[in-house]
Amino acid sequence: MGTSSTIRWILTILFTLLIQVLFLRDLTIAYFAFCFIYVWPLVKAPIDTPPAYLMLGAFVLGWLVDVFYNTHGMHAFASVLMVSLRSPIFRLLTPANGYDERSSVSLQEMRPLWFFSYLFLMLFCHHSVLFLLEASDLSLLGISLLRGLSSCLLGLLVFGILELFNLNK
Amino acid sequence: MNQLFQFLLRQRNFLLFFVLELISLWSVFKYNDYQRTLYFNTTNQWVASLLAQKQEVQNYYQLREINRELAFENAQLRQEVFQLKAMQAPDLTLPYYISEAVLNRYQPVACKVIDLTTQQSQNYLTIDKGTKDGLHPGMAVISSTGVVGKILSCTENLSMVISILHINNTVSAKLKSSGELGYVKWAGWQPEVAEMMDVSKYKKVVKGDTVVTSDYNAVFPPNVPIGIVAKLGLKKDGNFHDIKIMLLTHFSALQYVYVIKNRLAWQQAKLEQSKPKLD
Repeated sequence: MGTSSTIRWILTILFTLLIQVLFLRDLTIAYFAFCFIYVWPLVKAPIDTPPAYLMLGAFVLGWLVDVFYNTHGMHAFASVLMVSLRSPIFRLLTPANGYDERSSVSLQEMRPLWFFSYLFLMLFCHHSVLFLLEASDLSLLGISLLRGLSSCLLGLLVFGILELFNLNK
Repeated sequence: MNQLFQFLLRQRNFLLFFVLELISLWSVFKYNDYQRTLYFNTTNQWVASLLAQKQEVQNYYQLREINRELAFENAQLRQEVFQLKAMQAPDLTLPYYISEAVLNRYQPVACKVIDLTTQQSQNYLTIDKGTKDGLHPGMAVISSTGVVGKILSCTENLSMVISILHINNTVSAKLKSSGELGYVKWAGWQPEVAEMMDVSKYKKVVKGDTVVTSDYNAVFPPNVPIGIVAKLGLKKDGNFHDIKIMLLTHFSALQYVYVIKNRLAWQQAKLEQSKPKLD
C-alpha cells in the first residue's frame, strides 16, 4: 500500500466517521433501518491487511463511534467481531480461481454476487450483534434481528451506491 | 515455557480478538445504565437463588441439632403429662389427694441411641447418658411411641438398656379398655411382635385394643403404651388367651429415647425389701 493510498485510507476513515456521528446519528427509517457507514473502511480494507491491525483499527473506530452514540463498548464489540469474521467469510466465498493477493474488495474486481454476499454477511453480523447487545433482552430477539436485517439491507443499498461511484472513477 | 510462548505467539490474533471483545463487553456493562442495571439485577437474582440453596443445605444439616432440641422439649412435655395424669383424681368417693412428691416422681431424660440390635434373641441398646446424668440401672426407657426397655447397667457417660425384645424381659401390662392385667413378653423372633400372657380365657379381649403398662409396675410409669392387640387365640393348655400384639415402638428406626427417672424408686425398693421373709 503506497503512501498516497494510505493517506486516502485515513481520510476515508475520518470522513465516514464524521458523516456517521454528525449526520447519520439521528437518522433512521421507521426506527428499523439504521445506517452505519463507519464500517465501510473496515469492509473495504485490502485482503492482505494483517488481522491484528484490522482488529485494533476496528476497536478504535467502534470506540470512537460509541463515544458519540453514548453506547459504550457496543460498537467496538460488534466491529471487532465483524472484522474477525472477515477471513472465515473470505474462505467461505472463495472464487473459482482463488484470491489475488493484491486485489481489493470492490465491485470492480469481484463479481457482484460475491461482493454483495460478502457485504451482506459482514453487515448482518455487525448489525444483529449490535442490536442484540443494545437490547440485552432475549424477549426482544425477534425485533433485534429484524432491525439488524433491515439495517443490513439499507447498508447494502448505500454501500452499493458508494461502490458505483468508485466504478465511475 | 518456550512452548507456551510459541503457542501464545501463534494464537496472538485470537488473543487480541479476545482481549478487545472483553474490553468492549466490560465497558458495555460498566457504562451503559440499562445494561448495568440488567447486570446487577441478573447477578443479584443468581446470587440470591444460590444463597437460598445454601440455606436449604444448611437447614438440612441443622436438622440433627433441631432433632435434639425437640427431643429435650418432648422430655419436658412428657414430665408435665405425667404430672397432669397423676393429678387426675380417679372417680372415688373416698377423699383422696396426691402428695407433691408422688406427683412429681417421674422425670424423663432425653437420650440418643448410639447402638441397638433387633435381630438376636437377646437385644440391647446403648444410649449416650450415664450416671453423670443421674441414670441408674433399673430405670424405665420409653420412646415417643411406646415402651423400649429398662436400664441394665451404667457407666459414667453411657448406659446399656435391656430391650423388651429380650426373651427374659417381661413388662407388667394391662388392656386399656378392660383393665385386664397380664404381662408382655417378646416372642423371640420378629422385632414387631410380642405376646401378652396370663389373661384368662374367660375375660373379654378385642382385637385392636391397646396394651399399656399397668399401675403395679415398679419400673414403668402407668399407662405407657406397649402395643396393639393383633391376633387372638387360645393357649395350648386351654386356660389363657394367646394374644399377639404389635409393638408400638419401631425399634429399627429408634433415634431418641426417654429414660424415666423415678424419684421414689429407692423408697419403693426399700419398702419392698422390708417384706418379712417367710421361709
